[in-house]
Amino acid sequence: MQDNIPRGRETDLLVSGQGSRDPPVPDLARALEQKLALLHEVDHRVKNNLQLITSLLKLQARRSCDPAVKLALTGAQQRVSAVATVHRRLFRGEEVERFDVAAFVEDLVDDVIGGAGRGDIQVRLNLEPVDLPATQAAPLALLISELLVNAVRHAFPNGRSGLISISVGRDADGLRVEIADNGVGMGTPAAAPGFGGTIVTLLSGQLGARRETIDADPGVRTVIRLPVNGRP
Amino acid sequence: MASCDPLNILIVEDEVLLAAELGYLIGEVGCIEVGHAMTSQEAVALARKLRPDLALVDVHLGDGPTGIDVARCIARDCGGVALFMTANVRRLPDDFAGACGVIGKPYSEHGVKMALVYLDACLRDGRAPGLPPAGLQLAPLWAELWGVHDMPRSA
Repeated sequence: MQDNIPRGRETDLLVSGQGSRDPPVPDLARALEQKLALLHEVDHRVKNNLQLITSLLKLQARRSCDPAVKLALTGAQQRVSAVATVHRRLFRGEEVERFDVAAFVEDLVDDVIGGAGRGDIQVRLNLEPVDLPATQAAPLALLISELLVNAVRHAFPNGRSGLISISVGRDADGLRVEIADNGVGMGTPAAAPGFGGTIVTLLSGQLGARRETIDADPGVRTVIRLPVNGRP
Repeated sequence: MASCDPLNILIVEDEVLLAAELGYLIGEVGCIEVGHAMTSQEAVALARKLRPDLALVDVHLGDGPTGIDVARCIARDCGGVALFMTANVRRLPDDFAGACGVIGKPYSEHGVKMALVYLDACLRDGRAPGLPPAGLQLAPLWAELWGVHDMPRSA
């Protein structure tokens, strides 16, 4: 990967910035320009590395003959892809510190439903744009991805068709995300939660989110409520 | 190009693991990978020799940020169309160096496949089958040429 940051400028900046007769404004402008270039370079590398990691996991999943290994690698790839989807959106506009949950869900649904080859599952989206601090983006993205992938995998077995509805909006608590399906329902709870379930529990805790999963008969409905900007 | 021939695609990418995975995706949508180049010189030589229908071009190659020149060269004298695949969508020139569009990295498997199917139809019919799929941004010139009048998303 080529480094296109003009390295020579760093020294120029230090020398001319202190005690020289140069007017200070061009230096500030140059420092700002340099900071922006560095930020873009880091962003570029993060995006490329995420691409590299997902391609690596996918290649290994393709190579493995054991179905359990293949499933585990595909699961890991899917989770890294959810984080990658967040980064694809960051830095596209001028906004770098906020993250639009609704736009993310649109991308995610496209990738998960399309990637699963389940054209028989319909998706209904009810999305209001809601901005979150970018620092919360990855855990929330993973949480939503887990719930969606879980619904796609388990709600409609044996070629059963159905509907998944996702809504994103604000309520008195802050952010409200609802994921519902009209599939086979929860059934008998497993003896121990799977890895997906563990991720959901851990990330809900990390985000300070309240999570409610009910047997909606038919299907399952999960609602996540997340305080936004320090509000309850 | 005969109407039922699969699309011939050249991969121009200096990360070999990305290129390997792209090769699989190309095969899975029924297209053919005709070659893989890692530098601009290789890319131009292969494009001249193989005359691919489509070249997937990363901006940063083994010899620097030369992907833009590769795209310009392919558009000008190789008879094919380039598509950028880059993490640096904002650095592309306004005219896309003659390329038909860009897929931003990190891309998804599904996003790449849908983009290839869509471009296959565009190149075959000279007209877009609809709005471009999520993840694919068309160059203004090609969007106009293929009859896509309102662009759904911007950089």
